[in-house]
Amino acid sequence: MPEPSAEPGEEIIRSLATDERREMVPPDAASLQIAAVEAGPEIAGAAAGRKRLGIGAWLAAIWLILVIGSAIAAPILPIPDPKRDSTLPELSSDGSLSVIAAAPSLDHPFGLDASGLDVFSRTIWGGRASLIIGFVSIGLGFLVGGFLGMLSGYFKGKVGGFIGSLLDILLAFPQLVLAIFVVEVLGHTVWFVTFALAIVATPVLARITRASSLSWSEREFVVAARAQGAKHGRVMLREVLPNTLPAMFAIAILSVAVVIVAEAGLAIVGAGVNPSVITWGNMISAGQADLKASPHIVLAPSLVIFLTVLSLNYLGDVIRARTDVRESAL
Amino acid sequence: MRMVLSKIVRLVVVLFVVSFLSFWFVKLIGGNDDLVAKMIPFSSEQEKDRVRNELGLQDPFFAQYGHWVGNFVTGDFGQIYLGAGDNISSVPVSETVAKRLPVSLELMLYAQFLALFFAIPFGILSAHKASSRFDKATNVTAFGMLALPQFVAALLLVIFVGARWGWLPTQSNLPNFPLNPLDNWRFMLMPTVALALAQIAIYMRLLRSDMIATLQEDFITTAKAKGLPTRRVLLRHALRPSSLTLLTVAGLNVGALIGGAIIIERIFKVPGIGGELAEAIFRQQTLEIQSLVVLIAFFYVILNFGVDILYSVLDPRIRHARAVS
Amino acid sequence: MKRHKKAAPTGERFEAAPLDGPLLAVEDLHTHFHTSRGIARAVDGVSLSLERGKTLGVVGESGSGKTVLARSIMGLLPKSGTERTGSITFEGREIIDATDAELRSLWGSQMSMVFQDPMTSLNPVMKIGKQITEMLLQHLDISKSYARELALALLQSVGIPEASRRLKEYPHQMSGGMRQRIMIAIAIACGPKLLFADEPTTALDVTVQAQILDLLQDQQRERYMAMILVTHDLGVVAGRADDIMVMYAGRVVEKAPTKVLFSELRHPYTEALLLSIPKIAAPSHTRLLSITGRPPDIVAPPQGCKFSPRCPYVQPRCIEEEPPLVEAPTPGHEFRCWIPVGTPESRAALEANEAAGLASAAEAAKAAKIAGVHANGATTATAAPLAGGPHVGGS
Repeated sequence: MPEPSAEPGEEIIRSLATDERREMVPPDAASLQIAAVEAGPEIAGAAAGRKRLGIGAWLAAIWLILVIGSAIAAPILPIPDPKRDSTLPELSSDGSLSVIAAAPSLDHPFGLDASGLDVFSRTIWGGRASLIIGFVSIGLGFLVGGFLGMLSGYFKGKVGGFIGSLLDILLAFPQLVLAIFVVEVLGHTVWFVTFALAIVATPVLARITRASSLSWSEREFVVAARAQGAKHGRVMLREVLPNTLPAMFAIAILSVAVVIVAEAGLAIVGAGVNPSVITWGNMISAGQADLKASPHIVLAPSLVIFLTVLSLNYLGDVIRARTDVRESAL
Repeated sequence: MRMVLSKIVRLVVVLFVVSFLSFWFVKLIGGNDDLVAKMIPFSSEQEKDRVRNELGLQDPFFAQYGHWVGNFVTGDFGQIYLGAGDNISSVPVSETVAKRLPVSLELMLYAQFLALFFAIPFGILSAHKASSRFDKATNVTAFGMLALPQFVAALLLVIFVGARWGWLPTQSNLPNFPLNPLDNWRFMLMPTVALALAQIAIYMRLLRSDMIATLQEDFITTAKAKGLPTRRVLLRHALRPSSLTLLTVAGLNVGALIGGAIIIERIFKVPGIGGELAEAIFRQQTLEIQSLVVLIAFFYVILNFGVDILYSVLDPRIRHARAVS
Repeated sequence: MKRHKKAAPTGERFEAAPLDGPLLAVEDLHTHFHTSRGIARAVDGVSLSLERGKTLGVVGESGSGKTVLARSIMGLLPKSGTERTGSITFEGREIIDATDAELRSLWGSQMSMVFQDPMTSLNPVMKIGKQITEMLLQHLDISKSYARELALALLQSVGIPEASRRLKEYPHQMSGGMRQRIMIAIAIACGPKLLFADEPTTALDVTVQAQILDLLQDQQRERYMAMILVTHDLGVVAGRADDIMVMYAGRVVEKAPTKVLFSELRHPYTEALLLSIPKIAAPSHTRLLSITGRPPDIVAPPQGCKFSPRCPYVQPRCIEEEPPLVEAPTPGHEFRCWIPVGTPESRAALEANEAAGLASAAEAAKAAKIAGVHANGATTATAAPLAGGPHVGGS
């Protein structure tokens, strides 16, 4: 195989693909997908060399600030109540019952849904749950998975192998199926869904962290630190962790995007947060009934998800490109 | 050979653990009573008891597990319960699976085929013309395709291609799953495209990056210096050493798609295994869910195993290295 | 099943091409690379001519431009960021502006190259037989089975034992020497008229090196091929080249028929190269001359003579003005130096430099002492000249 290039994504793919223990464990689809995005379109590549960020990064950042900001500020924003208790059909001017769902207009930029509620407002409110699920599940996944992965990459051999095997078991389940299973058994609340997605994310993140930790643990300064008598914990904390963090940060951002999409996916399939809570996924799921007549119900949250994922991917790419440069300079 | 055997052992162990964990997880959370009550909510107490007995829910844990495993390996995946009151009937899950699995496999194969069909030429070309305008344009497109969630692509297709423009049929237009090839393909085209879109981007990028690295190798210069035409150099010399990662991922995806196509199957109402799982969720058939989850996981694990073996067959250096070590 | 005698590797088949004029003529070739730091002048005005059946040795350090020269002549360099100017005529035809398709028709059949590292230069996942036959099938109008026979014969002619088994094997199953033989087999398979050998033995064990060089020479003689042998080791070309060209910083600094070069060398760099060859007859632990300093930056080379920073004989004129390539009295001998070796001026320059404490001069003087050069320039049989007389012991 050709020599690994400087890009950590490609290194990760290769080290995943040619597992150190020479057992040729094929990398699982999820970590490869993340790594593929990582090694993927180098949109930000050209900008990496320059000190200042390109316009793309700014746009992405602005969008994310907008989305996250509006989600946080939702209660105080001057938008219609997303749950106005009015499911009564309205009488139109000619005396017939009007179809409630309305296309986008100046009053309601994203239109109204089947219950007459403002889609724009619901999208903003939906962001609260969806973004919490995204960030918290990855946060958890990183804490647990990142920790396990770093351990397993640092202590090769039996301990590493043991942890690796445990994670392999979890990886044996196709991801969406595992998430569905957990939600079905535990329940359809925001926290259970978060937990389910965290469980799915953990082995994937552990795998990737392991690959990174493995390659860093073999570098001379780590061996040197150990030779100076530093304890394992200290070495991991002081030497390995700070070096794996930058690349992992990029992966974290990319993973959040994956989870946001996953939440919507779960909702569509019926294994998401229960419909009384507004999430982007739930809006899409509910909107499926009126696709032909009122596509805006589904398209609005979809567009928001798409732009958010695009922004997260782009920023993750920028960060990857920058940590890349630093790594290759070593 | 020893390698293969140890892998088989590992495979069996994983299968057992997967089934055990699934079984245990269900039992852990849902009490027996909840279980039955959820599955047949409108039945009478008598029927509930009958079903409880049938399921052997009074037996000790490991006996239940053993019983369940025994059933599973002989193809008995449990029952789907229907009906209300005193008339609770059941349909074996295995029947549904037998009907629906081929559909999922078909969708999956189409999607992989479509993805590779586009990804390979674009991957090769953009590697060959790296940094050109063509490459940059393909880059940007791939980025967009990756960012587009599957369900968004699916919904867009349904809304515009299906419903508004009526170019292709959606399930609402068709009573039964079409079996004759032409109708079948017309129906499967949209779900296939929706499934394949992100794959195209990933595969193309993987192939491109491996190929760019390979094209810088010395033996490619040798091949060029032999006077061979570019096409031959690209396809016969550069492609094979570069395709390893791509094939691994494609192989793994075959397994992953079985589970991952759930959303697509739901949106397009494709009668496949994923759709069945969605149905089971809707109808709260916890035991069916359990069986399907384990079934899909089994497929995934066995497929990964196959890919692993294929890996060593493909690259003679690995085959040789193993033989020597 | 067609059997075309066209493929027979003898000297007979060259009667058709016109024999007047050299096989290869290069006029003022410049190869510039556009890098982020500026333009790298890897080949900076090189001219040469090569007759059929003759061998030209191109000698220089890494960075001298010798490899770029070889690839430049063949046209093997990547297109983007590369600029070639000058004239390259092969059999009277100008090829510097040849299209890719035209070049491809030349490569393999008219001119080919043996590369430095046979491990990385052979396709690791393709069987050896295939790598040879695809070449044959591309250029010759023969059947697959005949191609296979030819491949077998080729392997045997380059001295590979159990050739028929080897055809089905992969490169990693063979030793370095065998792989290089296979590379040679591939290169000569279609009977090219010109063979470039780019450091063919550098990646090999010393014991194998001589074998490979002998093989190249045999094949060349048998097939009446012209050969350009690129190497950093003057010893390699000593007994095997008709003419030798010494390169430094992309320029030719000395060019002469081999005997002339060794007996009447003029350029200090050539002398330094010669002095750094270990000689069998010298006593053990003889200190070799190490040339101080490093090769120049080809993006921003020194203004005057490119070798001046490292030359033991350097004088102010050398730093200011670059010497042109001039002809020496002996025909066929050209060199580029203001104060050529062997003249009284050079002796004086060396002494002055040594006295002034110039590192390169001190180094050179040490080597001279050990090589047994006396103050008046007379040398012992085993020594090489240093600012002194002409005759050199056996190479």
